[in-house]
Parts: sequence; structure tokens; C-alpha cells
Amino acid sequence: MAGYTVRRLLLVLVVLAAVSLLVFAITAILPGNVAHLILGQFAPPDQLKALELKYGLNDPVLVQYWRWASRFVSGDFGTSILQSRPVAPLVAEALQRSLVLTLVSFVFIATIGITLGVIAALRHGRPLDHGISIATYLGIAVPEFFWAIVVIMVFAAWLGWLPASGYEPIATAGFAEWGKHIVAPVMTLVFGHLAHVSRLTRSSMIEVLQSPYVMAARAKGLPERVVVVRHALRNALLPSITVLALDIGRLMGGIVVIETVFAYPGLGRLLVFSIQSRDIPTLQASILAVAAIYALANLSADLLYAFLNPKIRYGRSIA
Amino acid sequence: MRKILIGALASLALSTTAMAQGTIKVALGTTLTQLDPAKTTIGDEYIYVHLMFNGLTRIDRDLTVKPDIAESWSASDDLKIWTFKLRTDVKFHHGRTLDAEDVVFTMKRILDAGTGSRARANISMVTNVEAVDPATVKFTLNIPYAGFQDIFGERQMRILPKDKIDTISTAPIGTGPFKFKSWSPGDRLELEKNPDYFEKGLPKLDAVSLRIIPEPAARLAALESGAVDILWSLPNEAAEKFKNSSSVRVDSVATASWDGVILNNERPPFNDVRVRQALALTIDKEALVELALFGQGAPTHSPIPPSHPYFNKLIGFKQPDIEKAKKLMAEAGLANGVDVAMPVPQERDGRVRLGVAVRDMAKAAGIRISVERVPFASYTANVAGKAQMYVDGYFARPTIDTAIYPFYHSTGSWNRQLWLYKNPRVDELLDTARKTNDQAKRAEIFGEFQKIVDETVPSIIAFSAGHVNGVRKNVEGFKSTPMMWLELKDVSIKN
Repeated sequence: MAGYTVRRLLLVLVVLAAVSLLVFAITAILPGNVAHLILGQFAPPDQLKALELKYGLNDPVLVQYWRWASRFVSGDFGTSILQSRPVAPLVAEALQRSLVLTLVSFVFIATIGITLGVIAALRHGRPLDHGISIATYLGIAVPEFFWAIVVIMVFAAWLGWLPASGYEPIATAGFAEWGKHIVAPVMTLVFGHLAHVSRLTRSSMIEVLQSPYVMAARAKGLPERVVVVRHALRNALLPSITVLALDIGRLMGGIVVIETVFAYPGLGRLLVFSIQSRDIPTLQASILAVAAIYALANLSADLLYAFLNPKIRYGRSIA
Repeated sequence: MRKILIGALASLALSTTAMAQGTIKVALGTTLTQLDPAKTTIGDEYIYVHLMFNGLTRIDRDLTVKPDIAESWSASDDLKIWTFKLRTDVKFHHGRTLDAEDVVFTMKRILDAGTGSRARANISMVTNVEAVDPATVKFTLNIPYAGFQDIFGERQMRILPKDKIDTISTAPIGTGPFKFKSWSPGDRLELEKNPDYFEKGLPKLDAVSLRIIPEPAARLAALESGAVDILWSLPNEAAEKFKNSSSVRVDSVATASWDGVILNNERPPFNDVRVRQALALTIDKEALVELALFGQGAPTHSPIPPSHPYFNKLIGFKQPDIEKAKKLMAEAGLANGVDVAMPVPQERDGRVRLGVAVRDMAKAAGIRISVERVPFASYTANVAGKAQMYVDGYFARPTIDTAIYPFYHSTGSWNRQLWLYKNPRVDELLDTARKTNDQAKRAEIFGEFQKIVDETVPSIIAFSAGHVNGVRKNVEGFKSTPMMWLELKDVSIKN
């Protein structure tokens, strides 16, 4: 297990290196560079040249990449070209806000998703089961930005319960203001991600509830609550847990859209912004942060699965 | 679970915290990328620049230039040496008094190609700038340039402190009515009152909070719910929505930004002045304002807006004259009409509506236009300077010279890209204007210029677009400005 974990971690590093190279290649292909962006459509050529020289934009892409990569590895994330401020605190701050959003959403997805799955399994084939199916499918089938705008229109414009967008730091504005600002994005993220967990919990619960040991537990005369929670759910949760770990990665993808719509100043906003402004140091650092979380989420899904299910321990010969 | 969620929502909604007195919150659509005034490029950044910094001169609400840091100026007879006298009571936000060296430093920094300021081209005629004494700055130019003082109202030309330039992007320091408090990229910029501002008694507000909200629906919801007090640049379509609102009013002003139909004066059919005149005769510019802008703008003859003192009020806007238009078409040998394609930028709703309206009006004289929606991004490559006619528009330029000379002089850079218009009298007028410093004479020159372009129709400049802001009714003293930045120093909030 330890060897397997180490190998997988090394693989994550390889993936990150590949991602950074890919991003660099794509930005090199895109028309226009940061000098054009700073100076505009009709920039005088001599001024363009001066800026390109200053930022080393005329060097071959691989040279530029190497310059960036060697500094990055030594912990120097560089300076945002447009904003003229260091990238590291910029990304760290945004990452921290996004992680908060992701984790709060994750807790709700896990609890609500599993609860809905269990209820649907217990009411298998009845109207409530169908209702839950339709609702969760609606959440996943319609894109997040649509629900985001619905949430804004209902809760901010119409009911006036929530702020339409933005962010208040907990340190200066207090818990209530901070909480008010994350309700809408969390609600949207949760609604869009419930289907996976609840569907999976439902089907494995249905399977488990029909298994001989649940029948035995019932035959013993155990109360239904104990049968469901202690005997059935524990065993049914295995696939749900792995899909939840994967959901952390998916959530990181979702925040790009959600943060833009709700003007939440996290990693997603920073990412979109740095792409628009061809700000490569910021872009690289924020993409790598997203990729690292994604890769680590996948890795922990695999490891969790192996840990929870002794039948499929990796790295040990089974045959 | 749902009950718990709604309960939690309701309790959060009830716990509203007390709001600071006299803090105004403004919603912007795009995040600022720059805090260095010399490098700013977009409207959202200019708002910040205008609140925190001053130029030697400033552009007033009627688009005339007034003293700001410079209290007076004079030019040598050949208009090549310009001397500015500075106020001596202007303090930077860190307490130091501004002097001539700061002005020299700021200008040299803009002139340095490595700085990357778009304003460098504006002062390319400057060969030397020096501090004569702490309150006097002298510019030497390589050409005569009347109206040189106007250039300093431009956004990128604001005076910066020479001793605090290394932190200009992280902790900017200026001389303006508000000073920097904090900046969270993509989220908000917080400014607070500058108690030492040189205009006594101003600003009235304690603080300004610029909130960045990219999603249009969220911006509108924030204004409606009172989460923000001002929504900068309200879409014209949304202005209608607040007409009967009890809490929000719509404030608009004519700007010097214009939209129009660009005609290629060197390609048929518009190389014949009679065809251009015929097209102009079919067009009802007042109706165009209604159709394209929902009334938020004003018709004009050239990029000089109706709000400007040089605007020629004597020309007037005539009703369409289809008979005369048909006659001109027949004289041009096009009695059976002509077919022509007209690209419109598909992302700009107002310009698409303008194109469709012009198509329907021109039909009457036999000019059969087919409107082609193309992505704006392909304009530079495929449309500008190539199409026979197309719809486009341009932002306000800081001065009349920069708004007209490059567009209408036969050697002008924009003229070569847009309509390729040649008129010796216009060339003569524009050259004379550069050498004329007398305001009345300049107004006369530009008055004649407007008459000529109205008659010879280089293109159809349809209107000056209005700039519309959504404002909560508890905001007092706010008026939109034609340069589209926010003037907040004399604004206050009533609770």
C-alpha cells in the first residue's frame, strides 16, 4: 500500500508538469501577447518591442517555459505581469476562499446526497423516490450557470434574502455577513452535484436491503432504524464514498463558473481573469493549484476505496 | 432538511449589520487589471483613476478643459513652448506637497517606451519637459500644438508621486478626493476620504467601495435590493425597467462616444458623393436613437457631441427626403438601385439594431442593404478598411483634436483605416485649428468642419451614445459625466 501510494504521488507530479507545459503551449499559440494587451490595438511598434523585450516575450517558448519552471520549482511563483504584484499571495488567498466554498458545499453534498439516497431506497418505486430522482437529475442536467441566475433572481432580486453576489471576509465583516454571501454559491453547487451521490447511494442501498444479512437482521427483530443505519447503510456507503472524493475534483471545476456568476473572488475568477489578460505566471500557478486538487482528489478516491474494501488492495498480488 | 435550510437562510437575512455612514457602493462589470494610472486601459479602471488622482487639467461636465493641478498655463507665440503654473496647496495622500518635479517625473515615465503607457502617443510631440521652479513646468514641443493643455485631462496622464512609484501597483498614492484603502483583485476596491483634498469641503462621502460583479443579472439584482447604490453603465435595455421604480432612478448623459455607418469613400458605390448623400437623405437620425439606443443618446453630425460647445447647432437634423435621394441616385447612374452588404458586430446589440434600422430606411431610395452579423473579433482582419459599408463605433477621445484630426484629415491614421475621405478644405481647417489658440475662432473652424462633413457625408455618424447609470434614490448630488467616469466628490448619501 505504501509503495503504491508513493508511486501514485509521483504520477501526480508528472501530471502537473504535463499540465503546466500544455498551458504554456496553448498560451503561446493564442494570438496576441501581454504587450499587445497592455498597449492596445494600434500600439506603436517601437513601444511594443520595448515591452516584449522587457518581459522576454520574443524568446523561444521552451526558453520561456524553462525560465518560468526553474523559478517555480524553487518556490518563486513570479510576478503577475499586468498587476505588478507577486503571484504567490494572490493565488494563496484565492485558493483559500475557493477551498472554503468547496468544503462547505462538499459537506452539504455528502449529507444531503446520502440522506436523499437512503430515503429514495426505502421508498423504492414510490412517488417520493421518483420526486427525488427528478429533482437531482434536474440539478445535474441543467448547467450550473442557469441555476446560479435562478438563485440570484429568486433569493436576491425577488425575495431579497441574500446578497446578489460578492464576498465578505469573515475577519472584518463577521460570521453572519460572510455566511450570507456564501449561501447562494453553495446552494447552486450543491444542487448541481447531488445526483451522483444520491443515485449511487440509492442503488447500493436497494441492493443491500435485499441481501440475506439484512433479512437476517430483520428476522432477528432489530428495529428498522438500526437495520437501515447500522447494517445496510454501512455496507452501502462504499461506492458513495469514492464518488464523493471524486466530487471534490468536480467541484473545483464547478467553481470556475459559479465564482464568475456570483463574483466570488476565488481561484476560478483568478483563472478566468488571468486567461483573459494572458497573465502567464498567474495562470500557471492557479491552473496548477486546480490540477493538484483534482489529482489529489482522484488519488484519495482510489486509496479510500482500497482502504475500505480489503478485497481490492492494490499493489499486492491477488492471484 | 429543506426546512432547516430555509430557516438558516431567514435567520441570516435578519441579522443585517449596521452600515457605515456615508459609504457609497458602486457596481462595476469588469475587474480592474491595473492600479497604475499610466497603464490603465478600460472604463472600470478610469473610474478609480478619476477618484484617486488629478491631472494638470481636467475635463469638465461640458467637455471643456478646466485647471486642476495647474492653476494657469501659457504658450509661446509659435505654440511650441508651453508653461504650466502649479497650485502649491496640493498634497499627496502620504502627506508630501506636490511640486514640479513630480510632474516632470510622471511625463518622463509615460514617454519611456518601457513603461507601456497608451498615453505615450498623445504626447509624442514633447521633446523636453523641465521644472523651472517648484511651481512651474515647461514643455517643449516639436510642432505647434494648440489645445496642448487638453491632453492632460486624459486618464493615463494623472500626476504620480516620484518617491512612491515602486508601490504604485500595490499601494497607490495620488492627490485626489479619495485615497487607497484596500484592493482585492476580482472582488472590490476600497477607497476612503482624503481629508486633505485641495478643494475645500470635498469630498462629502466617507468612503467609496467599488464592487466587481461580472454577471449582468447579479448587478441588476444588487442595485434593486440596495446592496449597491450606483450601477455604472446600465444597459439601455435595463433603463426601461426602472422607469417606474420607487427606489432607483436612471441617470444618463450624452457622451462623445459615437456609433455610425462607415462608408468606404474609395469603393463603389460610395466613392460617388451623390450615393453617400442619397443614403444620408433616407436616414432619420432621431428615430435611430430611439430604435438603436431606446432613446439613450442624441443625434450628431460628427464625433463632436451635441453637448460640446463646438457643436454646430445651425445645421439641424432634417427629415428624410426620399424624392431628392432617388434623384441623386438616378444622377449617379443608379436609378434601379444598388445592392450592398453591410457587416454588423454581432455581440454589440445596439449596433446590430442600428444596422437593421439603417437597412430599412435606405430601402426607400433603392439602396438595398443586406445586414451580415460577424464576430467583432474579426473586424480588424476582415471588415475595417475592406467592406463597402459597415457599422462600428468609437469611444470618446480626450480632446477635439484627437477626436477629429486623425479621423478626417486626409493623412489621419483613423481616416486611412475607416472611410478614406479626402477634402482639401477640411485638411486646411484642421491644420489651422492646430495653430489656433483662440476659443471663439476654434469654435468657428470646427463649426464649418461639421457643415462640410454633413454635406459631403464621409460616413453616417448616427449619434452620440448616452452613458446610463442606475442610481438609488438615496444618493444625492450624482450626475453622470460625458467621459463616463464617476464624479463622486460632491455626492452624499441620505439614510
